[in-house]
Amino acid sequence: MKKELITLNINGDDIEIAVHPWRTLNEVLRDQLHLTGTKLGCGTGDCGACTVLLDDQSVSSCLTLAIEAEGHKITTIEGLAPEAATENDLENLTLDPIQESFIAKGAIQCGFCTPGMIMSGKFLLDHTPNPNEAEIRAGLSGNLCRCTGYNKIVDAIADAAEKISPTK
Amino acid sequence: MSLPQFTFLAPTSLSEACALLEKHQGKIKIKAGGTDMIVRLSHRAVKPDFLMTLKKIPDLNEISYTPDKGLKIGALALLREVEISPLILEQAPMLARAAHATATVQIRNMGTVMGNVCNASPSADNIPSLVAMNAIIVASSGKKEREIPIDEFFLGPGRSALQANEIAVAIKVPKLAANSGVSYQKISARSKVDIAAVNIGALITLNEEGKCKAVRISMGAVGPTPLRASLAEEFLLNKKITDETLAEAGRLAAEDASPISDVRASREYRKLMVEVMTTRALKEAAGFASQRVVKCKSS
Amino acid sequence: MSTDHNFSVVGKSLPRSDARIKAVGAAQYADDMFLPGMLHGKLLRSPVAHALIKSIDTSAAEALPGVKCVITGQDIPKIKYGNWRLVPESQDEYALAIDKVRFIGDEVAAVAAIDKDSAEEAIRLIKVEYEELPGAYSVEESLADKAPVIHDEYEQTTPNISLDRKIEYGDLDKVFAEADLVLDDVFTVHATSHAYMEPCSCLSEYDHDGRLTIWTSTQTPYFVQCLLASTMEMRENDIRVIKPFVGGGFGGKMEMRPWEFCSAFMARKLGRPVKFTLTREEELATGRRRHPMRIHSKVAFSKEGMLLGKEFNVHLDGGAYNSMGPTACFLCGNFGAMLYNYPNYRYYGAHVYTNKPPAGAMRGFGAPQALFVAETQMNVAAEKLGLDPVDIRLMNAMESGDEIPGVATISSCGFKESLIKVAEMTNWREKRKNLKPGQGLGLGCYSFISGGVFNWFNTRYNFTRAEVRAFEDGTVHLMTMASDIGQGCDTVLRQILAEELGLKVSDIRLTAADTAVTPQADLGTWGSRVTLMAGNAVRKAAQEIKEELFKMVSLKFDLNVIHDLRCGDGKIYPANRPDRAVSFGDAVKMAQRANRGEPIIGYGSYTPRNKGLVTPAFSFGAQVAECEVDKETGAVEVKFMTTAHDCGTPINPMSVEGQLEGSVHMGLGYALSEQFIMKEGKTLTTTFLDYKIPCAEDMPPGVSVHIDTYEADGPFGAKEAGEGLVSPTAPAIADAVYAATGYRCMDLPLTPQKVLASMKKV
Ligand SMILES: Cc1cc2nc3c(=O)[nH]c(=O)nc-3n(C[C@H](O)[C@H](O)[C@H](O)COP(=O)(O)OP(=O)(O)OC[C@H]3O[C@@H](n4cnc5c(N)ncnc54)[C@H](O)[C@@H]3O)c2cc1C
Ligand code: FES
Ligand code: FES
Repeated sequence: MKKELITLNINGDDIEIAVHPWRTLNEVLRDQLHLTGTKLGCGTGDCGACTVLLDDQSVSSCLTLAIEAEGHKITTIEGLAPEAATENDLENLTLDPIQESFIAKGAIQCGFCTPGMIMSGKFLLDHTPNPNEAEIRAGLSGNLCRCTGYNKIVDAIADAAEKISPTK
Repeated sequence: MSLPQFTFLAPTSLSEACALLEKHQGKIKIKAGGTDMIVRLSHRAVKPDFLMTLKKIPDLNEISYTPDKGLKIGALALLREVEISPLILEQAPMLARAAHATATVQIRNMGTVMGNVCNASPSADNIPSLVAMNAIIVASSGKKEREIPIDEFFLGPGRSALQANEIAVAIKVPKLAANSGVSYQKISARSKVDIAAVNIGALITLNEEGKCKAVRISMGAVGPTPLRASLAEEFLLNKKITDETLAEAGRLAAEDASPISDVRASREYRKLMVEVMTTRALKEAAGFASQRVVKCKSS
Repeated sequence: MSTDHNFSVVGKSLPRSDARIKAVGAAQYADDMFLPGMLHGKLLRSPVAHALIKSIDTSAAEALPGVKCVITGQDIPKIKYGNWRLVPESQDEYALAIDKVRFIGDEVAAVAAIDKDSAEEAIRLIKVEYEELPGAYSVEESLADKAPVIHDEYEQTTPNISLDRKIEYGDLDKVFAEADLVLDDVFTVHATSHAYMEPCSCLSEYDHDGRLTIWTSTQTPYFVQCLLASTMEMRENDIRVIKPFVGGGFGGKMEMRPWEFCSAFMARKLGRPVKFTLTREEELATGRRRHPMRIHSKVAFSKEGMLLGKEFNVHLDGGAYNSMGPTACFLCGNFGAMLYNYPNYRYYGAHVYTNKPPAGAMRGFGAPQALFVAETQMNVAAEKLGLDPVDIRLMNAMESGDEIPGVATISSCGFKESLIKVAEMTNWREKRKNLKPGQGLGLGCYSFISGGVFNWFNTRYNFTRAEVRAFEDGTVHLMTMASDIGQGCDTVLRQILAEELGLKVSDIRLTAADTAVTPQADLGTWGSRVTLMAGNAVRKAAQEIKEELFKMVSLKFDLNVIHDLRCGDGKIYPANRPDRAVSFGDAVKMAQRANRGEPIIGYGSYTPRNKGLVTPAFSFGAQVAECEVDKETGAVEVKFMTTAHDCGTPINPMSVEGQLEGSVHMGLGYALSEQFIMKEGKTLTTTFLDYKIPCAEDMPPGVSVHIDTYEADGPFGAKEAGEGLVSPTAPAIADAVYAATGYRCMDLPLTPQKVLASMKKV
């Protein structure tokens, strides 16, 4: 069956690409464009490892058809601190406040859930700048993590919220 | 697993969409948010030749309210939109609660309330409160529209009363009668974010003396379709709302339930939960209804 | 016991050295890698639980355009493998089934094709004719008369029991006859999934020089290297295993797996790279899991509460192959005798084959099961004897120097302190008296190993080895095969090395877990062995470097031999004359000159010797769960967890806390929500929608404290952290539920339905 030529706007870049209609956004990001920061943990919408923003809404890229992402703004983990993709000196680069908080608060262990968690955190803080703990937990409930027990991730989101929109 | 191959269709009008349904009968599936459909495709539970998205059809995502017609929720209104819509929170907060109780943030950002209804899963979160509120599903064949009372909409797991050439375009929810209250209760004892093992929607209308004037109870995940708790409804009519009558209503609801055992819960547990959740739902609904009674009197 | 050690890097909560690369999404896991010409592999798995393979027809699959290779058991060397190389008869698996399949999911054939779609399609086109055999799906069914024999090898001796273990000391029969209280209970505990977030994946490449390189999501690169060599009939030295970033393991990635074999085998055959990545459904439906067990435990007390003895009979439901079952069987016997002094003890453990996916190693490795039983019985005994659960434990608790005869001796031990501490932190005695209806408070304790002593893999190398190269610019390069799978050993080993050499963590370059360049060997990440074992090796390697450099400083300042030299702040100096310092880099430069150009390299190895049969060091701890139970629905909500634990010196306290919280998460799932629902060998819970690991909203808040001990055998006093803690959570929660409802759970998981059933509601 023929592929279709579509243009995806990913992290600010327009990328023209031929895809089969049954390709998910996750497959296109990872297998075709090698933007592998977005993970695949289940492929059935249950784990959140594949979370990206589509027009600033967090969605599961494993359940999104790539052709339906055309015309929308796609943001992946690679787009949060775009310099990280080109700049080698990660140590001295200032990342997105959520990324910085994840690092500082010990919210990252194996790191496999991390990109999805950070994208969910981003969606949460974009819409609820000063979430309480229950709101943070609810906001992360679509992202499974087997390593951390979530508490340090919750701390990291609270820390980032305070940095982005200080309450004091 | 990769999805099976299909031809993708993205009609831009209702009539075009219905014509495609007609043309490819038996070989075509609809997707809205796709959170059910894509998963089913990937499990190869369905293998359509054509997959048609509704997303390109304009004006299907409205959420509106008028005092005479009540609420209208368009087919493409997202779970998330319903969850946070000020209109819904004001007019039918239980619909927002049910939407919020569905799945996870990401899925609610993608999935629709209508998709949840049309998917016709017995455990669907948004169905019981809609049944309790006596909602109407508006179906369109492109040429004409018809209204299907929600009580007649579900035929079996995954099966609805929609004709092969019909698309559900909106859910209408009648305005609540005076002195009415609604509740949605869900139990999924394994996790706070989980498919319901049992869910109950209940609507109660009280008369001036605080007796039950009208009641609708819908039970989910305890039969092939959402079930009405008829015995309990009959029993409650014209009864005073007390802990005892509510407990009895719960017990009668369980009698009407015919659950199965599956990976989420056993038959016995489900039956018992119908009793507990029905009682809780009725109690909450009656509480809201009596607040309104009080409100009406004082104003 | 207490530490007056003044560390500069050890004991600091430094961010993980790989946190930044993970935060930006640049960390590459196996499935993130692509090589030119790469093919995609896919496995065909058995749909039946027990059957003879009559025929396999691969012709349609081979004819599909894009398919480059199809292999079955007939195409590969008929060589069995398994981690227990010490007992070759225990090696019972072929990479692809030959003649017989033994569980639903058993690997039957493999395909490599130009894309995933074609590989999946090809798998569907392979026709296998099975002759189905009756299956055995539980310990009872496997041990019944005329049960189907799962491995013919055992038909004559003990059908379906692959091995057993006995421990015995003292005179139990006498004890049971004379004891004031004897508890005699049968427990069942269930299987759970590792549920690491990264599905298994590997990528193999075969080069023209005859070397096979495999990047694989593994905890044990060395095991994979050795077992690939034996099954592929290659030389170990021709196989290079590289561990990329790994998204969690928890014991589930510590064997050679069929996809590793198939990717390597087909890459060699085709001369093209081949990648395999499992789906989550494959992981959950067919993957390794925690051993379900049937445990009969009979334990005797005096009326004062003194433990007199215990008889511990365990049947492990091992599934279709041995996997790591023998170790679990071995360890269960040890854990049954841990925590308290059992003056008389008898253990019998048997590993039983069933037609189910094999159980393997999983965080805690025999301890969660054994300790669920032991701790529950302690709580029962306390109640029957009218004692406080804390007091009865303090009375019997192990202390430093205590022994399990012939098995282990306890080195450092902060168990009693942990108990006293949790009681104090939770206001245990008061709170227990003032519980509201539906509220409960419960206690569970644990002990765990810091790496194993028993050489079942039969390695001919030291258990671990480190190489440290020093550079004139004041940096060092640490090379070790130790494998960070998310637990953070890359950071912890850097901290240990930085401490020893007086450098900053950023002065350390690390190359890890690449069998071609890191020193032979390291047994991998399991049994909480890395910090203690690799940490000791790293220290020794650093000490060799220090010796070289000390010579130079001594020479330069013409120091009296009695001077004690130190490393600190990137310098080397006499302890009492810090002004006479040479920078680390200059000292390296001098030493290198003095050696006429030879680089300054230190080596260190570690193998536990004379440490009994189990481990060099045990961790300990106690945990209190506070729960609320909805008596109408049976739903249990864990409100708060309090933990006190003795892991020796926490090298990185933030990391230790992370391990602890992760353990609570896993313990919580084990206790309440995680469960494989199976029907005749078929796993029905194959998505995370049905296999319920706790989400952020399910996880209770909690506090924890480290009990200050110093483990003489560990690097800077460190020992195990973060594996043992998976054990106390289930018994603590179960005990809290008992307090709230009167339901005493002896059959995990603790579901709402069981709570209600105990109240005769369902
Ligand atoms: C991880 C995960 C968790 C979930 N958790 C829950 C949960 O807790 N509770 C719950 O109830 N559901 C849950 N779901 C199911 C699903 O998200 C909901 O049912 C959702 O509301 C479906 O909406 P959709 O727009 O995505 O539907 P789609 O997948 O697009 O469609 C669903 C079905 O309805 C049909 N359909 C959709 N729109 C129309 C229309 N306008 N006219 C005619 N037919 C139509 C489709 O053909 C399809 O058969 C979950 C799903 C996932 C992936
Ligand atoms: S991979 Fe998309 S939700 Fe798990
Ligand atoms: S850090 Fe490993 S899954 Fe979250």
